[in-house]
Amino acid sequence: MQVHWRQSLMSYTFLAPALILLAVFTFYPLLYGAYLGFTEYNGARFANHLPPQWVGLRNFETVLGDPLFRTALANSVKYLLVVPALQLASLAVAVLVAKNIPGIALFRAAYYVPVITSVSLAAVMWEWVFNREGTLNWLLRALHLTTPEAAFGWLNNEHWAFWAVMLVTFWRGFGYYMVLYLAGLQAIPEELEEAAILDGASAWQRFWRVTVPLMRPTILLCTLLSTIAALRVLEEVLVLTNGGPLNSTYTALMYVYAKAFQGFDFDYGVASAAGLVVAVVALLLSALNFRFFHREEEQA
Amino acid sequence: MKRTLKALTLGLALTASTAGAQTTVTFWTWYLSPKFDGYIKDTIAAFEKANPGIKVQWFDKQDSMVQDFIASVNLGNAPDVVNLNIDETQKAAQNGFLTAVNTLTSPATLRSTFYPQSLSNFTSGANTFAYPWYGWLNEGVLLYNPDLFKKAGLTRAPRTASEMLTYAKTIKDKTGAYAWVPALKDPNTASFLGYFYAEGLPVTDASGKAAFNTAAHANLLAQYVTLYRGGYIPEDAVRREAFQLATELYAQNRVAMIIGGPQALTRIKDTNPSLYAKTVVTQAPLGKAGVQTGGSMGLVIPKASKNPQAAAKLAAFFTNNANQLGFARVVPVVPTTLGAQTSTQFKTSSSDPVARATALVGASGRLINPGYKAPGNSDDLYKNFNDNIEAALLGKKTAQQALADAAMYWNANLKK
Repeated sequence: MQVHWRQSLMSYTFLAPALILLAVFTFYPLLYGAYLGFTEYNGARFANHLPPQWVGLRNFETVLGDPLFRTALANSVKYLLVVPALQLASLAVAVLVAKNIPGIALFRAAYYVPVITSVSLAAVMWEWVFNREGTLNWLLRALHLTTPEAAFGWLNNEHWAFWAVMLVTFWRGFGYYMVLYLAGLQAIPEELEEAAILDGASAWQRFWRVTVPLMRPTILLCTLLSTIAALRVLEEVLVLTNGGPLNSTYTALMYVYAKAFQGFDFDYGVASAAGLVVAVVALLLSALNFRFFHREEEQA
Repeated sequence: MKRTLKALTLGLALTASTAGAQTTVTFWTWYLSPKFDGYIKDTIAAFEKANPGIKVQWFDKQDSMVQDFIASVNLGNAPDVVNLNIDETQKAAQNGFLTAVNTLTSPATLRSTFYPQSLSNFTSGANTFAYPWYGWLNEGVLLYNPDLFKKAGLTRAPRTASEMLTYAKTIKDKTGAYAWVPALKDPNTASFLGYFYAEGLPVTDASGKAAFNTAAHANLLAQYVTLYRGGYIPEDAVRREAFQLATELYAQNRVAMIIGGPQALTRIKDTNPSLYAKTVVTQAPLGKAGVQTGGSMGLVIPKASKNPQAAAKLAAFFTNNANQLGFARVVPVVPTTLGAQTSTQFKTSSSDPVARATALVGASGRLINPGYKAPGNSDDLYKNFNDNIEAALLGKKTAQQALADAAMYWNANLKK
């Protein structure tokens, strides 16, 4: 069927507002940000209304030669360990709470509360947990796993602060992914589950043979989202540890944030270059995710 | 007739527009609303009354002040008067964001209004970039909890900085509470440099290069490292701002002393009124140099301001002696004007801790000095310095090594 040019024009007219908004607020900043990565554009140039000056790869040399950025990037990559834990846990709990049992709505809502809790409020709460005199040390003592003398502030310890912050990320993200998985679960036709029951499949078999394969697109989406979120982790680190101790929680996005918004000493060129390096890592990891799930699909 | 009417109409229109011609000055303060709305609004009203051609639009900025400032310059709607502290003023001036105020107000007027040190705090190169506003002294006042002192067997406040270090052990060993919270690595600054200054140890040499890596500097840092590693300083002090942490723990009877301005008392009054009532206020001990460290706010005029002359009038009005003294009556700040030195306002004898603390420091604005000036590229330099202090505190480097590494980084990355 031939599409009349008027119909075509109509389609583009409807698309135009969204495309214009995308162009202005997404594509232009993205391209301009990428361009800035190859320029010198710091506070002094900015204040004197001088345009960005092309410097080629110099900012990338600066960023990659900076031990602080390398530590930050390594921390961000290490932070990806939260992804499988977060996905497995939220999928498992989504399966459990998908059943229509009395009071389950309250249970679901409770898991979602951390998603909408402000990070500063969450930070105050977790301070109480991780403090030397906090609830975590109290619990460990109550379980006879530690002594009062051995207690320490988890956020002040260079070996544990990273994992403590990661736990907060886990806590904040859990409800969000659980809701996405719940939506995915509700889209699975009930008859498939019923057929599996009739065939005598156990709950475990139904989960692995029916639920997981049908949930693959949702799992891919959630894994991608949480991979990108883990690479971009900033807020909780900023308010809980400010990157310390000994930069053990200093992430790549903190580096970008510090270079771009630190104050009058900002350097948009270096910040953009660092941002581009993080974006390339995120793209590579996303490609790996796609490849992994695609292969799984082929094998299935 | 028609022509006459036209001329009359035009004349009337011109008269009306001239009569109504007003300059609007945008004024940004930092963390002053809502607590000091009354004072700010009253002062603005007094300014507008004295300057009928100028109208003031006031906004109070908080967390995002600096970012908003930079964004407003980019958008072409920069404010006319902005409240910045010494460090941010230095950084903004180094990057070319500010107009030198000595080009708007004669240097002679500035010199006759403010303490020389107050002007020097905001001077970069040959120019002054802010009208000094209210200040505070880090070592101005020592507040202590008499019950914890009694429990520790102490009868008086420490008189020297080295005595403070001795007190740290006595108080912790006998009461379980910390003696005080030193500013080891406050965020966005290099607070430990202040201890070098207080002990008479140089921070930089004449050319601006780092000079804090001598054995004497390392010895001082090592004393704090020993205290920290011995558990005599709260471990949160490496992660949180000292003043914030100190006021929080003091109110819980977990810290015996606070060194700082009277502003700490206003917080304690809110959180623990009974402890506030018995808090003893006295002079703080000084280091070997016998100097104070402290900070101040200033009012700057952005280079992008469209009304620099009117802005200068407003900034000068807010920072004049009468208005600074007025502000000191509302909140215990230290005025930076020469006139405050002889003001009877600070000669009161009251048993109220805030009033006593204000009386102790109110006329000492001449002593306000952070002890170091923000070097070029200071954010990177401060971060590296703090990282090295932290490495020493956590036992990853010796004090000497940490300072040597920081000095090496400092000198390699210093921008003029």
